Amino acid sequence: MSDNGRAASLDIGAVLRKASGHSTFWPSIALVALVIACGVKSPGFLDVTVQDGHLFGQPVDILRNSATPLLLALGMCLVIATSGIDLSVGAVMAISLAVSLTWIDSSPAGGDPGTVVVALLLGLLVALVIGVFNGFLVTVLEIQPFIATMILMVAGRGIAMLLTQGQITTVTSPPFKAIGSGFFLGIPNPVVIAAVVFTLLALLVRRTAFGMMLESIGINREASRLAGVRAASTTWIVYVVCGLLAGLAGIVYGAPTMAADANNIGLMKEMDAIMVVVLGGTKLDGGRFSLAGTVVGALILSALERAVVIFELPSQTTPLFKAVVLIAVCVAASPLFAERMRLRRARAEAARAGAMTSEVVA
Amino acid sequence: MNTAHATLRRVPRIDRRFLPVIGTVLTLAVILLIGELRYGLGSGSRAFISMKLLSNLLVDNSYLLVLAVGMTFVILTGGIDLSVGAVVALVGLVTAKLFMAGASLPVVVIVGVLIGTTCGLVIGVLVQVFDIQPFIASLAVMFLARGLANVVSVQSLPIEDQGFAALAAWSLKFGEGKSLWRINASMIVAGIVLLVGFHILHHTRFGRTVYGLGAGDQGQAVRLMGLSEGRTRVLVYVISGTCAGIAGILFALYTKSGFNLTGIGMELDAIASVVIGGTLLVGGYGFVLGSAVGVLVYGLIQVLIAREGLDSWWTKVFIGVVLLGFVILQKIVAVKRQ
Repeated sequence: MSDNGRAASLDIGAVLRKASGHSTFWPSIALVALVIACGVKSPGFLDVTVQDGHLFGQPVDILRNSATPLLLALGMCLVIATSGIDLSVGAVMAISLAVSLTWIDSSPAGGDPGTVVVALLLGLLVALVIGVFNGFLVTVLEIQPFIATMILMVAGRGIAMLLTQGQITTVTSPPFKAIGSGFFLGIPNPVVIAAVVFTLLALLVRRTAFGMMLESIGINREASRLAGVRAASTTWIVYVVCGLLAGLAGIVYGAPTMAADANNIGLMKEMDAIMVVVLGGTKLDGGRFSLAGTVVGALILSALERAVVIFELPSQTTPLFKAVVLIAVCVAASPLFAERMRLRRARAEAARAGAMTSEVVA
Repeated sequence: MNTAHATLRRVPRIDRRFLPVIGTVLTLAVILLIGELRYGLGSGSRAFISMKLLSNLLVDNSYLLVLAVGMTFVILTGGIDLSVGAVVALVGLVTAKLFMAGASLPVVVIVGVLIGTTCGLVIGVLVQVFDIQPFIASLAVMFLARGLANVVSVQSLPIEDQGFAALAAWSLKFGEGKSLWRINASMIVAGIVLLVGFHILHHTRFGRTVYGLGAGDQGQAVRLMGLSEGRTRVLVYVISGTCAGIAGILFALYTKSGFNLTGIGMELDAIASVVIGGTLLVGGYGFVLGSAVGVLVYGLIQVLIAREGLDSWWTKVFIGVVLLGFVILQKIVAVKRQ
């Protein structure tokens, strides 16, 4: 009987051990802890209501606000998988939005769906070109990703300022606004867009060999090349995807306000994106990456920002809590911590074994 | 045969260590030449290259020079420190707050520098003990410092202490009239930091260990030689943090205020200066004096943009272009040597 009990407890222990080794374990714990904390502080926190066929509520807001960082972080995650990094995404957000809004601003019928589609395509095209440029520097000229993407991080914001003439370009265009503030089947558009992008990328990296190629490049580029992986072109594609998603994120982010503030849109957002990827259990050295973890990371960031509001703290203190969560998740996932846990378990096992032998002796 | 051999030996060989810096010197020369041709002797006015130019560059960029010195230490080990801009903001605000509370000048300066040291220590411990990548560890401390700065104040706080104002205004003047140039307190501090950095890197065991850590083997070579790997790695972040603390004081001297939004992107200015200074981000290659030249290049671009009467955002575009040109130039120089 006692044996049964022990077997059951051991099983739970084994499950926990297996789970805690999984890269999304600690981030998921962090997210659940955040949600519970918010739920305790504000009892109606998890209520979702339907108004005019649209979903409303705090969880919906958290999802909506996680869309932009998620779009950035998904592209960033693929880049990091190849052991690269893309610092230009914040500037790309500003450029794409500036291009789209400048186009709408200069056209006679800004509210025309056709105009909006062209504006969207132009914004995304510029983002794509920037991605091609970054990829060229990294793969053809073999410049370190950090410096290569830093060039456009610095220059890109200047380019966006040139596009908007240093002004804040504002337009009035209901279809454009709908991209960021409308609903599709009751779900906010940004959430739908992020979900579609995630699904496509997840299929691409896990249902084809693409993800495995990325991981092999991240582990050892030269060995991958010798094994027949097209390391250069694969890496290049990843930077293009990352740039494109950054452009999309800029448009989704700026659509509700219909204002392109080149100085502030996407400022330091590349750091948020990298943080989201790391929170999701992806290491910066490349090799192993987790898109699902990245989703969890984006939700943590968004829930954190909401929690600061719920706990009635000034919103400027958010970076403090970002630091705390980032350090906590990284320390929990660090080898030192794992080693400590292993030792503790070993000691417990030894103690239990000791108890058993004494039972036998008795 | 013999003569051919002799001539071969007479070809001057450049030490491979100096290769990345050749690009730096060339970049500086090109920018100075453009300046001289457009606004100096080339346009028939006074010489553009002068002590006055150098002195103005150093007055405006001494805080950046100090940051770049600290950053060089970190980058030589193959690490990175993203926290320095936020630390500068935090130190500036704490300085302003302490003066309001009636603290004396020496106390304020020491506390300010120690804040930087503490931030550096936190990064060092996260990197060394918990094995967190430098990028992430310093990013976390960047958020921490920025958050703390926001807690201290979200308004710009003026610094009205008389001793501080006197220190900011003090300078030694040289020359006459239009070619007047000066040396102020910030320049002296930056100069001392640069010389100390140079001495540590090139004349001490610690400095050689810093270069050794940049070998890209997780400090294995350093360990096998019996040098203290962990202590050195923590110390480079402490040095960078301390430099950020000093730079925070210098920036407060320069602006006579503290503001929670200063220094956004300042860490990238420092990193770009170090990169243009010929230090390789992979670690192990580079010189702190190169970083000083990198800061001058950075400052010169701003001077040229201002003299052209262009809007300030052109500065960003041009710094990007110079970075790109420099990196490509460095590639060419390095490839040629192989």
